[in-house]
Parts: sequence; structure tokens; C-alpha cells
Amino acid sequence: MTYPKRSASALLAAASLALVSACAAGNQGAPSGAPASAGASSAPAAATYKPAQISLGTAEDSKGPAIPPEGVVKGGTVTMIDRDDFAHLDPAQVYVNTEANMGLLINRGLTGYKRVGKGEYKLVGDLATDAGQVSDGGKTWTFKLKDGVKWQDGNPITSADVKWTIERMFAPFITFGPQYVQAWLTDVNYKKAYPGPYGGKELDNIETPDDKTVVFKFKTPHADANYAFAMAGYSIVPKAKDTKEKYDKEPVSSGPYLIKSHVVDKSIELARNPNWDPASDPIRGAYPDVWKMEFGQEALQISDRLEADSGPDQTAFTFYARIPPERLQQVLNNSSLADRRMISPSPYGNYYYFNLDRVKNQKVRQAINYAWPAKQIQQTVGGPAAAALPTTILNENTTVGYKTYDLFEKTTKPEGDIEKAKQLLAESGTPNPTIVYAYNQTPNQEQVTVVIKNALEKAGIKVVAKPLDRKTYYDSISQTKNEFDLYWGGWGADWPSGSTVMPVIFGPISDGGQNMSHLNDPTVNAEMKKITEMSDIDAANAAWMDLDKKIQETITPLVVAENTISTMLHGSKVGGAEIDPQQWIVSPNTIFVKQ
Amino acid sequence: MLRFLTRRVLGALVILVIISAVTFFLFYAIPADPARLACGKVCPPATLEQARHNLGIDQPLMVQFTSWLAGIFIGRDYEGLGHCPAPCLGFSFVNRAPVFETIMDRLPVTVALTIGAAVIFLVFGVATGVIAALKQGKALDKVASVSSLVGASVQIYFVGTLTMYFFVYQIHLFSQPKYVPITEDPVGWFNGLLLPWLVLALIFTANYTRMTRSTMVENLSEDYVRTARAKGMSGRSVVLRFALRGTLTPIVTIFGVDLGTLIGGAIITETTFGLQGLGRLSVRAVDYSDLPTLMATVLVAAGAIVLLNVVVDALYAVIDPRVRLS
Amino acid sequence: MFLEVNELTVDFHTEDGVVKAVDGLSFEVERGTTLGIVGESGSGKSVTNLAILGLHNPETSRISGSIAFDGQELLGSSRSTMEKLRGNKIAMIFQDPLTSLSPFHTVGAQIAEVYRKHRGVSKSTARDRAIEMLDRVGIPQPKVRVDEFPHQFSGGMRQRAMIAMALVCDPGLLIADEPTTALDVTVQAQILDLLRELQEQSGTAIILITHDLGVVANTAHNVLVMYAGRAVERGTMREVLREPRHPYTWGLLGSMPSLHRPVDLPLEPVRGTPPSLINVPRGCPFHPRCDHMELLGAQVCTVERPELSPHRGHGDACYLSIAQKTELRSRSGEEKQ
Repeated sequence: MTYPKRSASALLAAASLALVSACAAGNQGAPSGAPASAGASSAPAAATYKPAQISLGTAEDSKGPAIPPEGVVKGGTVTMIDRDDFAHLDPAQVYVNTEANMGLLINRGLTGYKRVGKGEYKLVGDLATDAGQVSDGGKTWTFKLKDGVKWQDGNPITSADVKWTIERMFAPFITFGPQYVQAWLTDVNYKKAYPGPYGGKELDNIETPDDKTVVFKFKTPHADANYAFAMAGYSIVPKAKDTKEKYDKEPVSSGPYLIKSHVVDKSIELARNPNWDPASDPIRGAYPDVWKMEFGQEALQISDRLEADSGPDQTAFTFYARIPPERLQQVLNNSSLADRRMISPSPYGNYYYFNLDRVKNQKVRQAINYAWPAKQIQQTVGGPAAAALPTTILNENTTVGYKTYDLFEKTTKPEGDIEKAKQLLAESGTPNPTIVYAYNQTPNQEQVTVVIKNALEKAGIKVVAKPLDRKTYYDSISQTKNEFDLYWGGWGADWPSGSTVMPVIFGPISDGGQNMSHLNDPTVNAEMKKITEMSDIDAANAAWMDLDKKIQETITPLVVAENTISTMLHGSKVGGAEIDPQQWIVSPNTIFVKQ
Repeated sequence: MLRFLTRRVLGALVILVIISAVTFFLFYAIPADPARLACGKVCPPATLEQARHNLGIDQPLMVQFTSWLAGIFIGRDYEGLGHCPAPCLGFSFVNRAPVFETIMDRLPVTVALTIGAAVIFLVFGVATGVIAALKQGKALDKVASVSSLVGASVQIYFVGTLTMYFFVYQIHLFSQPKYVPITEDPVGWFNGLLLPWLVLALIFTANYTRMTRSTMVENLSEDYVRTARAKGMSGRSVVLRFALRGTLTPIVTIFGVDLGTLIGGAIITETTFGLQGLGRLSVRAVDYSDLPTLMATVLVAAGAIVLLNVVVDALYAVIDPRVRLS
Repeated sequence: MFLEVNELTVDFHTEDGVVKAVDGLSFEVERGTTLGIVGESGSGKSVTNLAILGLHNPETSRISGSIAFDGQELLGSSRSTMEKLRGNKIAMIFQDPLTSLSPFHTVGAQIAEVYRKHRGVSKSTARDRAIEMLDRVGIPQPKVRVDEFPHQFSGGMRQRAMIAMALVCDPGLLIADEPTTALDVTVQAQILDLLRELQEQSGTAIILITHDLGVVANTAHNVLVMYAGRAVERGTMREVLREPRHPYTWGLLGSMPSLHRPVDLPLEPVRGTPPSLINVPRGCPFHPRCDHMELLGAQVCTVERPELSPHRGHGDACYLSIAQKTELRSRSGEEKQ
């Protein structure tokens, strides 16, 4: 899974309209199983939401063509409008969800997610005949390539291309994409371990016994490696046509479309790739003949254009642009938009982290969890239609085997339990602790901060609010020696498993790192290592879920934050449009143009 | 004239170098690291260092600045990005394309937006100003004065969004603003820019109406205008050839300033109408800490203003022969 | 009569009230003669002449009476009729040639355009004519200077150029509004000589507006003295300057530096200031400044306005009898001696 640039690296970015609504606000949230049931008037859209079901597909599931959406029509031209162009087209540099989405149109990988129904997905073989064969206790993964899969020039896609693809990700010019497979093949500091293939050196633990077979031999077991290979960053690059850093601008297509023209930051036009065979592809519908992408439109304009639905905009949609707050009520209240509205809660984990180096008493942390004004925050950011109130660390959309729990009675008392908080504070021996709350200084966060402050002060906690400049917010809170007690942070799973969340947010502590609560507990560390190396993926998933609850019970390093719900529109002549629950973006795979 | 121009152009170059230096060093006063943007979600220090190296921002500032300057004339090679041919304004930190190409791609949009709007507001502003001056104190004069006041006080993001909502989305009077090169489709070019032109013109016209009116009123009582009438010149000739001529100098002055500002990027207009011009480019560059792009947009903006200043000065001499000798 | 102005009245409507700039003025000009119109600023001299050319803004002014030029009534004529006359049959030159010439056009172009406008000739013919005219008014190297701008000319040259421009169509009537006021004394004489010369050559009638009786003495055949929008004295140059009848004319003469006066005698400007034209004094408009009312005993000066009499020849608008005036003049002359 990828994380939107706007919140991940983006921390530098000054807010423009889309940004403000997207995330500079600092709050996207994890979804909830029962969104805001306590709020009597939860929006109909939010109430009907069911989290994604993701399972492992078979070899049969891995055969093409993709399952067509209802009423599908082939042909026509579809328009995609968004604010920003894709910074990267070289798969090795792709991490951001919009770029991954673009990648679905022009690239293929070993594995991928096949939509089998509304909210139901299977991990299947994409170029591979199935989602991989694991052996050696999870250390060895073997993929066999399908027959007849070709590059845009008609040359066959071979195991050598796959090997090359992974090897080139070690090269110095690649700095952005995913790093899991590289680290598993070598070590954490993988760039030092191997300089990339351009000097003629190969990686011995990627084996290509024949043109169709590729074998990965990892140092440690990785039962979910097939999920890792589904990341857009691991899409295949042709060995013969690799132009190194220039590939970022001129990628070679293995997917259903070719880039016909690209004006940076302005437009992209895609035409069909004659050498793509739908029969080999279980994932991509590729129904329109032509894709036109327009960049440079703010979310507000896109929202207005799609709402107006006039002329050429009827065949338009957007990958990413969400209805901005100032239009949200209008769009939700307009019943004529019902069949053009798409709603999905964020797949990311969103937390108010405690700085465990400073807030040392667990009872204080628990008290704050009880006193937490989840419902008031939800009201402040736009009500149940705009934010859900999850109760777990892992996000339901991106966790296979998700199980909910509610440790702090947020389902029954979303407005907070001040009495319980006071009681815990009394037990802690510090009935009136002082909490320094650092926040990203945006108008939205100013309001949320007031709400938090009011609630905690009712419980007897003195709150010192520290506004931080939004350009340097993340840099400040990710300093290990920071001066704050509580701050918001987010993390997105890279595939639907706790394995890309827990070992990160409770992993290595470093300046600029992601362990913002500075949790370093031997029991937890040992447990995480154990789960990571489990060869039974189902058992691992269950164990992550258990650890989720256990961490909150025994340590309470964070308050689970509210989770933004995205509402988007598409043109009336666009069919098959829905927000991919994992990517939180409209998937191109099912898009078609109605006649 | 040649000496005048040479001197002015040299002066302009010095100004541009100073402006780029100031922009450059100010940029690094911002505590944000553009390399973070080029580094993935998990960004180990080694990768960050590599990203920094690839972008060429691991060098001392002075070295960075001089290689940037040199790149303009001789081009530059980036390890992680490839060759950037002269005139090289650097590689964008964000989209990793040579900045010069992007600038050249955006410039026509901004120029078309600016020139189109400028033609409208200049012609319309001067015409209403002249009419108001000739009909001093009459209803027409009052209408022109009041509407120019209204025009001057509205804001483009307000009018722009409003007109978009009503005229584009609701009654479909205008098509969705967009830029189509005039060479490709002149009609589409015109249609796509008409609304932004009109909205920009609405705001700028006011200034010209007022300026023209007041200078014109003054000029109409000039002795040489009376002489022209005493010579039997027709009313129109008196107004256009004599009175208006004297009005041109102040108009050219503000026109030069306005044009320079707009070419530097009609930021709000471009954002409001979703036009991909220099204004939007510069906003994006700020958003994403994209120094090379930011530098280039600042340079174009400064260059436009400096160049138009020279043009305005040259025009003074054309308009008013008295300036030529002094 | 070539130009006959009868009962001309020009009112301006301003926010403060109606300005009676010219009030029942009558005079005549013969072909080939020069009429000097004299008076202080605001006496209505310039207004009268702009009225002849029809240059007053019809929105703000009301003009009545009659202006007959060469048998044609000008008041109420169409705009195009007036445009055809201006610069063609009736030309005008102004006080300050620097501001009166357009700074944006070459001297030659400004002259030529008049000729083209009225004669419909080609550009090159008009240009040749401009050069010829510049030559006629005594500008050296006219072929070069024709392409120069007014600011490149000296003051006297500019006025010569103005004259060239005014005379380019051989107008029957030339109105010269203070043509020498802005010039050096030596240049003044040259310009007046030039005007006289040109008049002799072409027989143009000239109306010379001035506040300077010296200029009149040099140039005019007839003189009209104006005060507060009215004529207070009219006659030949000799009559008015040698035997001035109106106390105001005396005042003007007294305030004029003259070669015949002893140098140690202080200049004596007319006492007081010209009246407001919105509230012109009842009776004789000059009475608040007049020193001789007591001679008349009766309050007639403050009640009823004196008319210009006699109707022809040397006349003035004052209740004093000719005898009283002669006596007063000789007395004041003695005092001054």
C-alpha cells in the first residue's frame, strides 16, 4: 500500500486547497468498524460502509480477464482530473498512491489485487501464474511467469526482467520506492550491500532457472512477501530497455496502455498497448480506449466541475481529489448526486502519540484516552460524514483478519468519560498533570486543539498547546528529544497486514523516524520479531491483531485518532468508479465510459 | 538609443543576478529539506544523503549557486537525474524535469492570459475613460466611475469562482477555462481563455478608466488642445490625436507595471481557473520546496518586470519627443 | 463690414452662479485692419474671441447676440461649418506658444495638417507649404526645422511657427490673443513687425488682444477697451491713445510704462481690482474704482449703466461730459508733470 505524498513526505508542503482538506490538517484517520454509531444522525453514506475483505487467490483466480463491473462498456475516452501530475513513472520510484494508480495502467508486477466484488479483493498472480509458492519456511519464494506476457514492443517478459527490476532498485538514483524486498535479500542497509546491476554485478539470491521462473531467497522468513510484490514499486522494468534515471520519464509499458503524450504537470494521454493481452490479466479491465489526464485543478474546481456534470465533464472523474469541506454538506445533501458519489474512510492509521519519555505514567495515558473527546473532534471536522472513530491501532481496511476491540469505551461514550479519567488520574498520584500538546498549525487543527484542551482540562489535566509550523511539523515531532507530550502522527500499511505497521510505528527509534511514541519494550519487540518470522500468514495476522490490543492494554502509547472519510464524485457517464479501500483512491481497473 | 538600451539591458542583468541570489539564499533560510521529498516513506539517513547528492544540494551553498549560474550558460550534469542542456535552470526537485522545459511550456499560457486580458482592459479602460472625460458629470461618466470603483474593489478569487459557478457550470455560457495552443485550435484557444480574460479585465479596467478619465480631463483643457480645435480639427481628431496622446504616458507606465506583474504569474487567476501557467507553477514550487522551479519563476517574473521597464522607458521617448533629448 | 459683432453676450453657468463674461458687446473689424482689444485679465477679451471661433463648450456656456463674418452669421452655425472656418478663414494665435503647440507633433506636421484639413492637398504638398510658411515667418533653415518639435524651438521661433500655422490657409481674419506677452521684449517687437508685414502682404484683418497699450500703439488701427465684459471705449488707435475719454482707459494709460514719461515717476496701476463677473456692480461697473464720480453729483453712476456713445467713431461709456473729461485729463497730466 502506498501513502499519499501529501501526508507522507509532504510534510514540507505548504497547504494549498487540496492539501488543507487532505491532510495538512494533520488528521486522516483510521476507519472504524461501527462508524460513530453513538452519533444518532450519522450520514447514510458512512453507515453503509463495510471494510474491505482481502484474501489470497488461487492460480485459477490469477487467470484473466478481469471480472467486469456491472453494465460495462468497452471503448470511449475517459478523462481523469487531478491537482498534481505523477512525480515518478519509474516503478522503482513509486510509493505514492496516485502514482501507484497510474502504474496500474502501464505497469504489471508479479502479484496484484483482483477485485472480485464490492469491497472484496484477492491477492493473485499478475504476471505470475499464481500469488507465488513459498518454501523453506517462508524464506524462498518462487514465481512462474504466465505465457504470452509481453512488453509494449512485443518482446516477452522474462524472469531476467524480474531479476533486473529488483537489482536496479539498489542503484543510487533510486531513492523513493519501497525497500522491503531489497532489505530482505541483503540487509537493512541494503544500498551498501549491493550497488545495483549497472556495474555488472548480480544479486545471487535472485535465481532465474529458466525464462519463466524466478526464485527469491530471503535471509529470514517472509510469509507475506507475495503481498510486498503487489506494491506498485515492484512492477517490472525491462532489462533491455532500462534507461536508468531517464526511465522515470519514459517508462516501457507492460500494462494495457501506452503513454502517447505527457506534458509535465499538465496532461497525459494514454492509448492502448496492442501487446497487452486481457486474457493474461486478472486485475485490469482497461475498458476505455483512451485516457486523458488533466492536472493543475484544485479540489474545489474538480468538485464543482464534477458536480455540474456538463458536457465533456460527464466522462470525467478524479483519482484523488476529495470534495473539500466547504462543499461537503452540499454534495452529501444533494440526492441527485447519490449514484455519482463515492465514499470511503481512510486506510491509514492515525494516532495521537504519547511521548513515553515524558508521559511515563500509564494511568495518565489511560486517563487521557478515557477523557478523549472523540465525538467533539468528529463534530469539529465535519461530523460523522467526514470522520469515523476507530478504536484500534490497525486499520480495518488494511488488515487481513481485522478484529475490533474497544478498550476505552469509545463506542459507548465517544464524547469521553471524564469521571473515569479523574479516577485514573487520582490513582496515578498526579491528579493534575500538565500535558504539552503539539499540533500542526492549520485552521482546522486550531479548532481541534481547543476541543481537546477543553475536554482534558475537565478531567483536571493542564494542557499547554504548542502550535508548530506546518512545513516543519513532522520534523519537529519526529525528533527523539522533543519537548512535547502528545502529538498527531500517521502511518499507512504497505499491504494489508500488521507487519508493515507495528514494526514501524513501534520499531527503531531515530530522529526523523516513525516510532514517535518512543516505545521500546522488550516483550513487544520480541513478539514483533516472532510474528514477522511466522510462516503461517493467517496466524501472523491474528497475532498482529492480538498485539494491537495488548499494546494498548499494557502500555497505552497512543490515543487512536479520528479517521477522515473521503467523499468523491464522478461524471454521470463514468461507470465502475469506486474508491479502492486500500489505496483510498479511485481505481482505474473498473472504470468504463457509458454510451 | 542604442547606448540607452545597452545600458539598461546590462543593468537588468545585474538586477536579475541579484534577485536570483537573494531568492536562492532566502530559500535555504526555510527550515525544510527538499531531499525529504525525494526520499521514500521510509527514509534512512543513507538514502536521504543519496537524495541530497542526486539533487546537488549536498554542496556548499556558494558552490550550488555558482554551478546553478554556470548551468544557465553551459548546461549541467546531475548524477541522479541526467544531463540538463543549456540554458539549464536546474532540474525540478519535484518532477525531475529540466526546469527550463517546464517554464517554456507554461510561459505561453501566462502570456496568452496576460496579453488577452491586457488588450481587453487597455482598450476598454481607455475607451470608457475617454468617454467619461468627454461626458464629464453626465450619467455616462457616473456609470463609468461607479463601475470602475466596483471593479477595483472586487477580488478575483471571488468573482472568478462565482463566474465559474454560474456562467460555466450553471448556465453554460462559457466553456471550462483551459489553455489550447493557438496554433492548434484558434477557436478553442479563444473560448478557453475568454472567461479568465474577462474576469481579469474586469478588475484591471477600473484603474485604466480612472486614470484615463482624470488625465484626459486635464489634457482637454491644455492649450495645445484648444489650438487644435482653433485650427479646425474635427472633434474626434482633437480627442484622439491630441488629448489622448498626452494621456498615454501615465497609461503606459501603469500598463508596463501591470503587464510585468501578470507575466510574472497571475497566481490567483491561474489557480481559480485551473490554468497551468507560471503563477500556478510558482505556487506549486513553493508548496513543494522546489527551489530550481521557484528560482526560474522568480527570474521570469523579475525579468518581465525589468524588461517591461526598459520597454516603457523606450515608449516614453516614442510618445513624448521631449523625453528624447533629455 | 468684414466682421460685425452685435450685442454679444456670453454667460457661463458655474456652481457659484452665472458668470457674465461678455455682456452686450458690439464691434466691427474691416478687412486689412487691426483691431486692438485692450483690458485687464477677466475683462472678456479672450472670451469674446473664443466666441467668434465657436470654441466655448455649449454645455456650460450660453451665447447670444450676433457674430457676422463676411456676411455669414456664426452664432448657431453647425459644428462642421465652424470647423471649416476655423484655421481656414479665421485663425487664432495664442499667448504661450510653448503650451499652445502640441509637444507630440513636429512643427511642420502641425502646420501641414491645417493645410491638408482645409485644402485637401497631399501630404507632400502640405509639407512644402509648411516649409514655405516657416520661411515666410522668418525661420531660418525651414527645411530642417520643419521636422523639429516645438521644444527644440526658441520662444520667438515658436510664436513665428504659431503665426505660420495660423496663416497657412490665408485666413481673412486672424485673432491674436496676447501674442507677445510670453516673449522677451526684443522678440515682442519682431513678432509685431512680422504681423504687420504679413498683414500688408495679405490684407488679413487682425484682432489683437492685449493688456498692453504699447502693443496697440505699435500695431492697431482701431482700439476697443473692455471692462467687465463690456466695451467702455472705442475709437481709432490715435483717438483712444491720444485723447482717451474713459477713466478706465486713463488708468490703463497711466499704468503703462512709456518712453514719454519721466523715469522717476512711479507706475500707477488702476486702483482696486476688477469686479466679480458673477455680481457685477450696479450702474457703471467701473464705479467702485472710479475717482471722478463726485463731479457728477448725482448717484447716476451707481444706478444706471452708461452705454457706449456716440454709436460711431470715438465713443465711450461714461456719464462725464467730453468737457469734464478733457479738463480732468489736462489736470492729471499737470499733476504728473
